[in-house]
Amino acid sequence: MGSSSRYLRATAGAMVLFVLLVGGGLLYAASGGGSRDILITQMLINTIIVLGLQLFIGNTGILSFGHTAFGTFAGYTVAVLTMPVSRKMAQIPDAPFGVAGVRLHPLVATGIGVLVALAVGVLVGLALTRSGAKSGAVAATIITLALLFVVHEVSLNWTDLTDGGGGLGFIPRLRGRFWIYLTLALALVATRLFAETRVGRWNKAAREDDVAAGAVGINLVPPQTIALLASVVVIAIGASLRVQSLGSMTPVFFYFDYTLLTLAMLIVGGRKGVTGAVLGVVVITAGNEFTRYLAGGDVNVPGLGWLLRPNLSLLFLGGAMLLFMLMRPEGIIPSGEVDQLASRFRRRVEDDPAPEQPPAEPADGAAVDGPALVVADVGVQFGGFRALAGVDMTARPGEIVGLIGPNGAGKTTLLNIITGVVEPTAGTVRLGDRDLTDLPPYEIARAGLARTFQNLRLFGGLPVRENVAVAAMAGEKYRGDRPRIDVDVLVAMAGLWSQRHRPASDLDYGSQRRLELARAAAMSPTLLLLDEPTSGMSDEESAVMIGHVRDTAARLKAGVIVIDHDLHFITNVCDRIYVLDHGRIIAEGTPGEIQRDPLVIEAYLGTQALP
Amino acid sequence: MSAPELEVRSLTTRYGAIRALRDASLTVGVGEVVFLIGPNGAGKTTLLNTVIGLLRPTSGQVLVRGEDVTGSSPDSMITRGVALVPEHRRIFADLTVKENLMVAGITVDAATRERRLAEMVELFPLFEKKWTTSAGYLSGGEAQQLAIARALMSDPEILLMDEPSLGLAPTLVDLVFELLGSLREQGRTMLIVEQNAQRALEIADRAYVLRSGEIIDQGTGAELRERTDLVSAYFGSQDT
Amino acid sequence: MTDIIQQLIDGLGRGSGYALLALGLAIIFGVMHLVNFAHGEVITVSAYLGYWLSIHGTSWWLIALAALGASTLTAVIIEFVAFRRVRGAEDFTMLLTSFGVAIVVRAGFSMWVSTKPRQFDKPGWIFNTVKVFGISLEVYDLIVIGVTAVTLAAVAYLLRRTMFGVSLRAAAEDFDAARLMGIRANRVISGAFALSGLLAGVAAVMILMRRGQAEPGMGLDILLPGVLAAVIGGLGSLSGAVLGGFALGLAEVMVRAWILPEGFTGLTDGVVFALIAILFIFRPEGFIRVGHAERV
Repeated sequence: MGSSSRYLRATAGAMVLFVLLVGGGLLYAASGGGSRDILITQMLINTIIVLGLQLFIGNTGILSFGHTAFGTFAGYTVAVLTMPVSRKMAQIPDAPFGVAGVRLHPLVATGIGVLVALAVGVLVGLALTRSGAKSGAVAATIITLALLFVVHEVSLNWTDLTDGGGGLGFIPRLRGRFWIYLTLALALVATRLFAETRVGRWNKAAREDDVAAGAVGINLVPPQTIALLASVVVIAIGASLRVQSLGSMTPVFFYFDYTLLTLAMLIVGGRKGVTGAVLGVVVITAGNEFTRYLAGGDVNVPGLGWLLRPNLSLLFLGGAMLLFMLMRPEGIIPSGEVDQLASRFRRRVEDDPAPEQPPAEPADGAAVDGPALVVADVGVQFGGFRALAGVDMTARPGEIVGLIGPNGAGKTTLLNIITGVVEPTAGTVRLGDRDLTDLPPYEIARAGLARTFQNLRLFGGLPVRENVAVAAMAGEKYRGDRPRIDVDVLVAMAGLWSQRHRPASDLDYGSQRRLELARAAAMSPTLLLLDEPTSGMSDEESAVMIGHVRDTAARLKAGVIVIDHDLHFITNVCDRIYVLDHGRIIAEGTPGEIQRDPLVIEAYLGTQALP
Repeated sequence: MSAPELEVRSLTTRYGAIRALRDASLTVGVGEVVFLIGPNGAGKTTLLNTVIGLLRPTSGQVLVRGEDVTGSSPDSMITRGVALVPEHRRIFADLTVKENLMVAGITVDAATRERRLAEMVELFPLFEKKWTTSAGYLSGGEAQQLAIARALMSDPEILLMDEPSLGLAPTLVDLVFELLGSLREQGRTMLIVEQNAQRALEIADRAYVLRSGEIIDQGTGAELRERTDLVSAYFGSQDT
Repeated sequence: MTDIIQQLIDGLGRGSGYALLALGLAIIFGVMHLVNFAHGEVITVSAYLGYWLSIHGTSWWLIALAALGASTLTAVIIEFVAFRRVRGAEDFTMLLTSFGVAIVVRAGFSMWVSTKPRQFDKPGWIFNTVKVFGISLEVYDLIVIGVTAVTLAAVAYLLRRTMFGVSLRAAAEDFDAARLMGIRANRVISGAFALSGLLAGVAAVMILMRRGQAEPGMGLDILLPGVLAAVIGGLGSLSGAVLGGFALGLAEVMVRAWILPEGFTGLTDGVVFALIAILFIFRPEGFIRVGHAERV
């Protein structure tokens, strides 16, 4: 599917959600009194804030307790800048920056509020990304929690600006819901579109597996920072609306209770999608109101008096969050969006045919070009243990090179050094003229080295096709001059066409290995590095894999380095083989030479020659 | 006939969607030394981890002296006299040598533990000097001896070992095999995963060959050594 | 000079509570990779028990003893009821589970015990001051620092010299390998929670003596500096957690005394947070790196 139709569909989905939410809300409000009107206004504003949370938490997988604190910054900015000067002179005459004497239009004030929140967002973003923020990163979560508490403390104590706990009032009220509808519609479209942009999809890939994301050329920092700043903008605007709709601002407006409320909405609905987030807003709003009503003293259920007490809604919010974590941690809608329903249904009736796979061009020497990989005198030491020493190795373009050796010989360590996951203590790794030795994994991937992992590192929660597509986007961006294979063709080649919409983690072992190869190939690499591509496969599956590796390399005009214990596989597929034992290269040669080399047989089967 | 010391019946273990071990069956008699050989990814480690209870099988049974212990936790396996020396040794690098051994003696009473600690120093003299050294500073060979000593702290009748010679220099491999020989003389029943098939088959009573999660061959050490298909199990047929 | 020493003592006093909480958090993080946001609720439970005993005229010695017991028991019960079910789950799930437990406990207190803070008598003598070499010190600070030093020494002894402590360290380093040694997963995790609860109990007694108050929402407020200390120290490192606690206490006192102008002391937390954020930018792994590298 082209990206424009992808965006179009996402926008349509966002509009459907808008109509359902606003329409449902208006119907509900029309059927009751003015209090329902206020409730719906607050629900719509809460939706904007929850969308801001979803944008960051859902896409990056980093749990943040502190995002509502950005609302405090925007909220106070808007409050201070829009209050009548006379009120300010009474409440906060000594406010810094001379703001006591200024009064701005709400739109301008909102703009400044966004900028203030963004400025804080940049500092927080720096701390987050530096603390190794990745999906589920605990330190990042705690930084955000601290932000929430600290901003509350400061807003309570900086009385010159905030007038302390009593808060600021007389903020001009919003009339009508025009700005709320507009912002909500834009926020829905923006969050839904963000998930479909390259940055959004890279965030989701990194959320599923940060190491694998690096291996397909994704640097986590820019996508995460963009997601953070975008979410700050959405929340800041939402906060401005909330303050204007209530007409006042206090230190607790965007503090603990509000964080709990909005977070419960996101978590219960399903944090990974916009549809889930919106559903969560509705479910939690309804539940919250219902429990308040129950505990309000107007209801009298015999035998339940002990439960129907004030603060029941706090129990509801905490309990809902806890129960979902214990029973259904991904929320009501774990994945998928409303706009994907139609195509999901259509697929059930009739699937598209798999794309034609153009025949591979013969890998004649002339067609193959590109730099050679040269590993020179590489060594690494872990503590006192010398895992590799003096390793020299070359992989020329178009060549299939095998790397074998008994378990523990250092093969994967060598691969990790080449791809930048492990830093060598000695030696260099070069690709043509380029020194790769000290580059981070994503730079090495962009330079043209694509790898697979011994223990399989797929983007498990993402669909099969998306696993290949995120790598292809990186391939297109960073390796546009190399031969490429279309994403759909790669999926079909891997024999996964009929399963392309299923989560990658659902696949069986052999399919996951083939998918990893397809993902690596989508990078348009100069060199494919495969770590045990047939491990755990049956003989038939291995045989298929042999053809598959050859075919893929030929189409990409890429070289291959393949590690395997399956010598049957290695001798069938490789032009040249290196044998590693105890961290040193003990032999190099053609498969025939290696099979007869007594040193190799000894390394594998023991010290004595075979009968 | 009495039940074998250890029996595995049609064991299948999955990791998520991945079936790492399929329908594997084997027996180990009292005092027997049985090896599991085969290429990496064949499911050998999965088999041992399932027997000891770190992994739960999807189907099949594990029996110790005829008693069904499928799905028991590792600690209850140890009280039944089964211990595992895990792959990569997994010694506690932040703990001293003594503490590593102490932890391994958690299932026995304090007096027995003290006695066994003394026995280990006798059996592995190098520990004496390194007694209060963090285990992270041990060399590969020393660490492997510590890993085996830990398993011996519970004085198991059945000893499972996962690649005891992994990553060791040839002279240290000799040392490990010497140690296996002396353990066998003590009459311990052993099931050992080993890459070094040639060495393994020299001292094995029997061996099983695993490939792609299935047991494809079995026999006495001598029988398997005679068979040429062992070479092709590792190297593939020579004529390709 | 006396000023510096006075600030130092003040900082150590503040840091003591943080260090005890951070140590408890680090112990739990070590064995099950969980940041226990419900750790502060253990203190809430102790506080209400203390309040109840206090209005019934119980002496402070007995209140302290009861608080220790209640904290330990509560920590173990929370693990049994909630955390056992998410053992080995994703970090995201575990974080929100502990957060959810904290909210539910808070809701329970505010529904069935009291919404308003409950005051009770503090032991008056702890606010006396004594003069040592011309420096006037509050008895309270001396008690806090002394008790914390003894507690930390006892924990160090426990971890180094007892079977339980050594198994705990083994489990924190490699849980599966510890199970292979015969350590029972449930037992060692329960033990870790009991120990962390006991440490929180010591902190709770110190906090109660000073505050003389129980309220439903106190848990997370009190816990936060402890969590920050654990992260500053290097999450999972026990000595790092203690170090982080004292560093945080000292930083607060120093920012208040020497950096902020008079009248702006309310912004102390803000400045300290900015310092922590800057620390993370330059030293992302905290003071002490806990590296059991992920296998790729």
